[in-house]
Amino acid sequence: MLEVLHSLLFSTLDAAPALVFAALGAVLSERAGVVDVGVEGMMRAGAFCAAVAALAMPTPLAVLVGMGAGAGMAAIHGWLCIRWRSDQVVSGMALNLVALAGGTFLLESLFGPNGTPPITQLSRWDIPGLASVPVLGALSGHAAPTYLALLLPFLFQGLLTRTPLGLRLRAVGDKPHAVATLGLSVPALRWGAVVGGGLLAGLGGAVLSTAVLDRFEQHTPAGLGFMALAAMVFGRWTPVGAFLAALFFAFGNALRIGLASSAPHLMDLVPQGVLLALPYLMTLVLLGLQGQRSSAPAALGVPFEQESR
Amino acid sequence: MGERARQALPSVLSVLLALVLCWIAIAMTRDVDTATRAYLQMFWGGVGNWPAFLDGGPVSALTRPLGEAAMKAALLTLTGLSVAVAFKVGLFNIGAQGQMILGALAAAVVGAQLNVPAVFHIPAALAAAALAGGLWAGIAATLRIRRGVHEVISTIMLNWVAVSLVDNWLVIGPLKAVAQGQQSSITGTAEILSSAQLPRLLGDLSRLNLGFPLALAAAVGVDLWLKRLRVGFETRAVGLGPDAARTAGIPVAWRTGQAMVLAGAMAGLAGAVLVLGTEGRYPGTLGAPYGFDGIAIALIGNNNPLGLTVAALVFGVLRAGGTRMQLLGVHKSFPELIQGLALLFVAGRLIWLAVLRRRPRAVVAPAAPVVEVPRA
Repeated sequence: MLEVLHSLLFSTLDAAPALVFAALGAVLSERAGVVDVGVEGMMRAGAFCAAVAALAMPTPLAVLVGMGAGAGMAAIHGWLCIRWRSDQVVSGMALNLVALAGGTFLLESLFGPNGTPPITQLSRWDIPGLASVPVLGALSGHAAPTYLALLLPFLFQGLLTRTPLGLRLRAVGDKPHAVATLGLSVPALRWGAVVGGGLLAGLGGAVLSTAVLDRFEQHTPAGLGFMALAAMVFGRWTPVGAFLAALFFAFGNALRIGLASSAPHLMDLVPQGVLLALPYLMTLVLLGLQGQRSSAPAALGVPFEQESR
Repeated sequence: MGERARQALPSVLSVLLALVLCWIAIAMTRDVDTATRAYLQMFWGGVGNWPAFLDGGPVSALTRPLGEAAMKAALLTLTGLSVAVAFKVGLFNIGAQGQMILGALAAAVVGAQLNVPAVFHIPAALAAAALAGGLWAGIAATLRIRRGVHEVISTIMLNWVAVSLVDNWLVIGPLKAVAQGQQSSITGTAEILSSAQLPRLLGDLSRLNLGFPLALAAAVGVDLWLKRLRVGFETRAVGLGPDAARTAGIPVAWRTGQAMVLAGAMAGLAGAVLVLGTEGRYPGTLGAPYGFDGIAIALIGNNNPLGLTVAALVFGVLRAGGTRMQLLGVHKSFPELIQGLALLFVAGRLIWLAVLRRRPRAVVAPAAPVVEVPRA
């Protein structure tokens, strides 16, 4: 029983960081009032660029390249949405489509359909003394992003709720005109949040191709970006909330895989497809019970114009 | 420039710019000649191989490609309508894919199990598909209206549930086709009866079937509904401002639910057209993510039923012809890339308008939002 718990926890912590980073990126962008449906495309760009870069340089550096790629995609989004006040949903979906088709094209023309060649994975850290403790030992033996993912949400929460910068970021998503009245630049704050969100989404993608897998595959990130959006909404646009929701999704996934491997006789009773659907059904039921009255930032998706009120 | 042209022009120019950029991309990775020939292949593959026909080729050199393009366009139109109808009431329907899966499954089951004449069989299968898609969207609508659950998250979840339950369980389990002799390797559900097959409009000349006129009729129907009927007007009013609509005595929750169910029905019909028109059964998976393509089509078409139909026709041609590019070793994902880039340029609608106005730095956003897209 303990062993099952241990392996469940371990695979949850292995799979969660990508989702956590992407969800945090979405929270950052949307709290500043810019819709972030393009997070899937940013993740894909990050995953692809990190995997390609890792062929030529040490993997940790390649992760940075991946983050840069995510930020580059986010910059397109920012330019369209902030500078040109474009529709943020259209721009985000366009990024997703471009990343999907462009990634497929580049992958196949550079490496062939089966994905990039294998790369050196990020090294895993063993925490001395912890590995032998039952259950808690699952905390040991992960790559660096896992530990960052456990820490970052709380830093973010502090940043958003306890610092002047956080206050401004939240204000720019709720009442941008009030922020402008104070003589602060709404576009600058939004640019920061969008590009920061892109860096985080790129990191999430890079984690997928350098820590979870050891290559970029055709289907990476396979809808994980949309799951990150769901985690953000589920977590009511708060960093810690999104973090817990992301952990929940990752746990649901680990539970399914864990059940399939540890209790094969169960598979005769419950079909695989039903198990697959379980985390999503659970989410729907939980959301239905919890209710989700609007907690979105008030000015989310509304382009800012200095002259209007 | 008329208002309608001003609305449509950015989309047209965006598609053209995307075409040019992708041509340059091919020319750079291969060479100019290959790029041009690939585009010709794509074009002839979509609108008919006129050179071959004029050289004395069979008439099928025209009808076959056109039929393929029409088939793709029918699917894109229906999923595009699904997304657009939801947008009109202020909802972002990411779930067209899931609704389409349910519709396709319902059509496949009714098509295979019911044994009645074609006059009743086809409508029954279509109705079952629309109902299944509508019910699936209805779950998201109910959660939204009753519990305030954001439709983006619920439709994403419903997509995954649909894929998991249908593709990973029903189709390979309870509903799997019973193997008959040689055909033991068949994936998917049992084949539909011939009475449920959508009739081919040109016989053996092309795969063009009833699905295409059906999709066009649906687009016209939705357009009339939105613009001519009081219900449609109220639906748009809810999308533009729920509070104002409520003040005006419009039943906001009821209209929202109706529109979402209609959106689901459209996506469900897309599934039916795929199954009854071309596949003949629910295949192992639906193949291309038509539901997500619908989002792009709806947005490029400016959420206008007729505009998105035009967008669907254009991309139906590119999609149908795109596979022919592979003959030249050019990757088949280019039509998708063109679609994505076109959407990206459509997102820069205001840039287009600023450029077209030819007044430097005179960009003032119009008083009303140009695209009626709600925030997600």
